[in-house]
Amino acid sequence: MKEKHSLRNLTVIGIMLVLFAALAVLNISLGSVKIPFSETTKIFFGKGTNDTFQELIWRIRLPRMTAAIILGGALALSGFLLQTFFNNPIAGPFVLGISSGAKLAVALLMVYVIGRNGVVTSPAMILSAFAGALLSMGFVLLVSQRIQKSSMLIVAGVMIGYICSAITDFVVTFASDASIVNLHNWSKGSFSGASWEDVGIMAVVVLVTSVIVFFLSKPVGAYQMGESYAKSIGLNIKLFRASLVVLSSFLAACVTAFAGPVSFVGIAVPHLVKSALKTSKPLIVIPTCFLGGAIFCLGCDLIARTVFAPTEISISSVTAIFGAPIVIYIMVKRRSAVR
Amino acid sequence: MINKRILSLLLYCILFFCLFGCSSGEQDSDNKLGNGWVPSGSLPLQYATQFEVDYYDGGYSLISVSDGSKFLVVPENAPVPDGVSKNITVLQQPIDNVYLVATASMCLFDALESLDCISLSGTKSEDWYLQNARTSMENGEIIYAGKYSAPDYELILSSGCRLAIESTMITHTPEVKKKLEELGVSVIVDQSSYEKHPLGRTEWMKLYAVLVGKEALAESLFREQTQLLEAVLGLESTGKTVAFFYMSPSGYAVARKSGDYVTKMIELAGGEYIFQNLGDSETATSTVNLEMESFYATARDADFIIYNSTVAGGLTSMEEFLGINTLLADFKAVKEGNVWCTGKNMFQETTQLGLMISDIHEMLCDDGTLAQLNFMYKLT
Repeated sequence: MKEKHSLRNLTVIGIMLVLFAALAVLNISLGSVKIPFSETTKIFFGKGTNDTFQELIWRIRLPRMTAAIILGGALALSGFLLQTFFNNPIAGPFVLGISSGAKLAVALLMVYVIGRNGVVTSPAMILSAFAGALLSMGFVLLVSQRIQKSSMLIVAGVMIGYICSAITDFVVTFASDASIVNLHNWSKGSFSGASWEDVGIMAVVVLVTSVIVFFLSKPVGAYQMGESYAKSIGLNIKLFRASLVVLSSFLAACVTAFAGPVSFVGIAVPHLVKSALKTSKPLIVIPTCFLGGAIFCLGCDLIARTVFAPTEISISSVTAIFGAPIVIYIMVKRRSAVR
Repeated sequence: MINKRILSLLLYCILFFCLFGCSSGEQDSDNKLGNGWVPSGSLPLQYATQFEVDYYDGGYSLISVSDGSKFLVVPENAPVPDGVSKNITVLQQPIDNVYLVATASMCLFDALESLDCISLSGTKSEDWYLQNARTSMENGEIIYAGKYSAPDYELILSSGCRLAIESTMITHTPEVKKKLEELGVSVIVDQSSYEKHPLGRTEWMKLYAVLVGKEALAESLFREQTQLLEAVLGLESTGKTVAFFYMSPSGYAVARKSGDYVTKMIELAGGEYIFQNLGDSETATSTVNLEMESFYATARDADFIIYNSTVAGGLTSMEEFLGINTLLADFKAVKEGNVWCTGKNMFQETTQLGLMISDIHEMLCDDGTLAQLNFMYKLT
């Protein structure tokens, strides 16, 4: 039985790696500017002959692709942690009001800066989104100290989301048209404009957090068996719950800061991965979730930037088209299981 | 036999409807008012295609807008003619207490020295870059009455407003238009944004001139702009390419659609818009979210960059421009110091599109000595 599981895991991971490699090649090779594959290969090995093509691949396609891999992985991992924490398959980074907090902070920044005829710079956007997301997370943490029931914590998270959205709407009511347009564009999400500098920062934040999450595999596995079991093996539940919220929020905040709100990846990917592996064991699910998120975002971003090229569509539009049916499937399947 | 009779009857019916249809069509073109009055003349238009004006004896004017709406302007103290078609809205002069929501129309009223006709605005004081409009609002002569989607109906009614001038944005909130009309406020939807030629937009001042009775002034102001255009059209094309865009906070470039009035202004000024066949010319949108690599591959070779500061915020230096995205440093226009930024007033100055074209032409012919134009400034 165990051997059968291992074989299945190996097969799934093997298929995912092939898919990942194929999508990575497609992401590097395809774009609104047609670059011959032979030239792409030459450029990749430092023997390119066309300067423009070289710049396109090294400074636009590669950093963007790397950002999609890192942030996609982060989103899926964040979703897995929240689903474990809430014991709810449709919990995701949006549930705790993280994206709404980030959006509020970005709205305030835009209204303030553009209102004074200034320019909203990328670092300022990233910092404000991160600060907004962490503020929401801090509030959830405070609430979690007083509320033990996970379902009530979801309600608290949703309420924070509502409060942040209401304040954002209030700010937007008095904002100039330019601020509204900018906020609207940002809130649809995009991996466009990612630079190597951004990739460096997101890589440090996401990879360090992911490694910590991986090392928490054992306590996560124990928590999945129920709180009383986790307590019986000596797990500090209060500290563990706080760690889950902090880590998942940190990952989601990083994504929102660099790419804006990207929907459905955090909900859909962990479910797909668990279904494919037929296990919820964190030791195997955590790295596979990261890989799954990367694959999902690579595919969606490829569609977002090539289908209507040179016009770019928002990443959230694509992730929603592919992710929403999965969420519906989860709900329908869950309902059938209850019956 | 019966079949023959039925066939004959059918033929008679078809013939009757054909004749009836033809005659009613003829009657419509001559009888636009619906009461048998025949127009004595029409307003000559050079570029505008989205409206027309017919004149009638007694100083009456019929404005027909491309969205199908018609407005009969009745001179002060003159009676409203009998039998006017029900689909024609009657506007009795003097036209005052106007609620002006179409931002681009404010400068046309300003140029016609008729700001006093406007008492309510859909734009706040701080968002006006037209000095006279801003001053009027600061002095309380024009009051903010809510934006297009959320007008303050109580304020509009209590101020005695009878006419609202909306932009095509109102088509997204048809319930607002319906409510205004229900309250007795007539609504003109400014269709100037659909004009194909830039000066078609400017020519809309002739429509507003009919409302405020200043046709001669409008004609003279419009002629000034056409003369500026003709002066540029007489010159040879510079062959220089221009990229007009801004960078969105999400990191992609937002460029004007090919064939848009801004790109037409660049072409009329003797330049060439670098993005060819961009966007669907049939759609109402004026901009396209451009994928970064396509933008980079095309715009890096542009001779000139005009950065649209209206949405993205005003830039003060080249350093600030390069801070938006490091890739911009590779662009030819950056290397040659040919990066210009639009002033915030550019899209509110519909009156002076001829001057804008002239500005772009001056930019294209710049030998490095220019730093400031009427609607643009150079980034250094």
